[in-house]
Amino acid sequence: MHLLSRNKWPAIIGLAPAFIIYVLFAIIPIIISFYYSVMEWDGFTEMRFIGLGNFKEALSDPIFWQALKNNLFVVVASVFGQVPIALFFALLLNRKMKGGKLFRTIGFMPVVISTVIISLVWGMMYNSRRGLFNQMLEGVGLENLTQNWLGDPKWAMISVCITMIWQFVGLYLIIFLAALQNIPQELYEAAEIDGASGFKRTLHITLPMMRETIIVAVILCISGSLRTFDLIYVMTAGGPGHSTEVLAMYMFDQTFSSTRYGYGSTLSLFIFFFSLGLVYLSTLILRRKSE
Amino acid sequence: MKSLKIKALVILMIMVLSIMTACSGNSNEKSSGSSKENGEKIELTFWNIWTEPSPQNEASLKQVEKFMEEHPNIIIKQQNIPHDQFKVKVKTQAAGQQLPDLIQVFPGAELTPLVDGELIQPIDDILSHWDGLINEGMLGDYKVGDKQYALPANVTPTSLVYYNKAMLAELGYDEFPKTYEEFKTLVTKIQDKDIIPIALGNKAQWVLQSSYISTIGDRMTGSDFLTSVLNGEKKFTDERFVRAVGVIKELADMKAFNEDFNSIDNIQHRDLFVLDEAAMMIDGAWSLGPLLEAMEDDENLGIAPFPAIEGGDGNPEAVSAVTGTGISLNSKLEGEKLEAAQEFLKSFYDEEYYSDLMKADILVAADIEAPEGVSDALKEVSEIVSKQTSPVYDATVPVDVTDAINSGLQEVSIGTLTPEELAEKLQAAVDKQK
Repeated sequence: MHLLSRNKWPAIIGLAPAFIIYVLFAIIPIIISFYYSVMEWDGFTEMRFIGLGNFKEALSDPIFWQALKNNLFVVVASVFGQVPIALFFALLLNRKMKGGKLFRTIGFMPVVISTVIISLVWGMMYNSRRGLFNQMLEGVGLENLTQNWLGDPKWAMISVCITMIWQFVGLYLIIFLAALQNIPQELYEAAEIDGASGFKRTLHITLPMMRETIIVAVILCISGSLRTFDLIYVMTAGGPGHSTEVLAMYMFDQTFSSTRYGYGSTLSLFIFFFSLGLVYLSTLILRRKSE
Repeated sequence: MKSLKIKALVILMIMVLSIMTACSGNSNEKSSGSSKENGEKIELTFWNIWTEPSPQNEASLKQVEKFMEEHPNIIIKQQNIPHDQFKVKVKTQAAGQQLPDLIQVFPGAELTPLVDGELIQPIDDILSHWDGLINEGMLGDYKVGDKQYALPANVTPTSLVYYNKAMLAELGYDEFPKTYEEFKTLVTKIQDKDIIPIALGNKAQWVLQSSYISTIGDRMTGSDFLTSVLNGEKKFTDERFVRAVGVIKELADMKAFNEDFNSIDNIQHRDLFVLDEAAMMIDGAWSLGPLLEAMEDDENLGIAPFPAIEGGDGNPEAVSAVTGTGISLNSKLEGEKLEAAQEFLKSFYDEEYYSDLMKADILVAADIEAPEGVSDALKEVSEIVSKQTSPVYDATVPVDVTDAINSGLQEVSIGTLTPEELAEKLQAAVDKQK
């Protein structure tokens, strides 16, 4: 701290390149989005100022609401799927056990595989005629449980979310494992002397010590799920009948396939504000609990 | 100590500056352009979708090569971009006024925005070059107002029924059903054999529009319907259009398609047909070449137009078709660059190109004799198309109406939208255009 108070300039100059890049590629585009969002523009002909017309249209657009609902579904499924499962496995793998490293590698593998590959492979497994899932169900005599996983609007969203959970559990698993290893052993030793064992130690030492990490994981999870695009795009392309449409995809379609740059920008602003609000809300809730 | 600080500062400044100039440098390079530095040579940039090694693409690329050999002072700098990305790229770059000198364009509704935005220029000055080769009637898809913006290379029927002759013969059919009622009987008979009646892959959503409703709709409404709707003379809520959508609903309800039709794509549905898992497939002529290549027995491939539907206004033999592979000139081209580009068009669309395309199982927009070695299947398709062609929806209506049709038909097929509701939705999308 005292280093900075002596002379601020080196720090400012050191941060400048990053700051310039950030402004150039993050802040300015957001401002430009604001500008486009009050325009009706097809990208080819003259722009036309229409005030808040795009915003009004979005609010009365049933597909926008459907996409928002689906997005919320993804957020909830990710937060309550990815984080608890990852935490459970992290606690399990944190003990000294044979093959721990192997399990960790296996758990992390989905994170490094390209999403497009994951989507294609899971798409095949979900296939209703010769996919792995239905064949397995048939194999054990549960024919009546087989589903048209990706082709039925009732199941499509759930199927996609399961893949998403599978894909990212590994990421949080590694984050949690790192946090677990940073908890000082003395705490456990003291607890042992006090007679606290097993589950109690986890509840009163491990989890409180990991609170900050869990909060970060939840925030990452929320903002990640709000941007979700590639996996759904490859697996279902938003179908059948908008049942897996999410905001980012609807924005992309409106902008680049329907060439409505103004409306697309409005949708992207909605995503921006929505993520901001949700992340703020979640930190508020989680921090308050911790105080 | 102080000098070290200054040194560090100078290095940092250089870094910042170099980053900033790197960002802006690119555009400088482009504008100071080709003709001066390269001396005599003229460079033309050209974007197209010829990425896959298909016979059609190879024939097209060959024409570019040939032109460069004959004109050593002109360089055609190509960018080959896959079809779907190409369309997105053009729309994005057009917004920034950064289109190439020569650009592959798609007809009708895809071409109009480029014309409206004054991004491409007409080719009427050189049109007489093709008198006698390309019929007047073939030019329409690339005409906006009374100006011609590109020439067509191929004619693509988007809606043909491909069927497995052996399977149908086994069920007692020597020829393909002529009416929709008979067609439905055929579907149930195939179902009884535990075979998929019609292979369909509608994940990308355009198949039901391009290959189904374009022809089925025409059977019911007649060929003037779409233009009338866009003029405001008719409405999508017209009972005949609703009944046409009802045909798709009916086929979906009677499970005429493979169960997973909304989660596989059009290449996968072609596989189902090739592997004899499905007895029929409704698809465009783009599948003809790949089918002939993949099928063990070409003789077994039957091709027919969609059957007649009772009570419709349209010609029961019409097949939806569109012309393609047009190349447009950037509106900014002038002087010697413009001349070079026009020269390129003249050399590209020549008789040799058209006969190469026919050998690649592609119907062409030119009036030429069929070369030797053209497949029987192509002759059959040509025969079907010669009766009457009808407009393809996505080449006729504006893009966001197309989007509404695409996703709406998928919803109808899974029962979350009724044909009436879809018709109202489409009419609302058309009304919004004004």
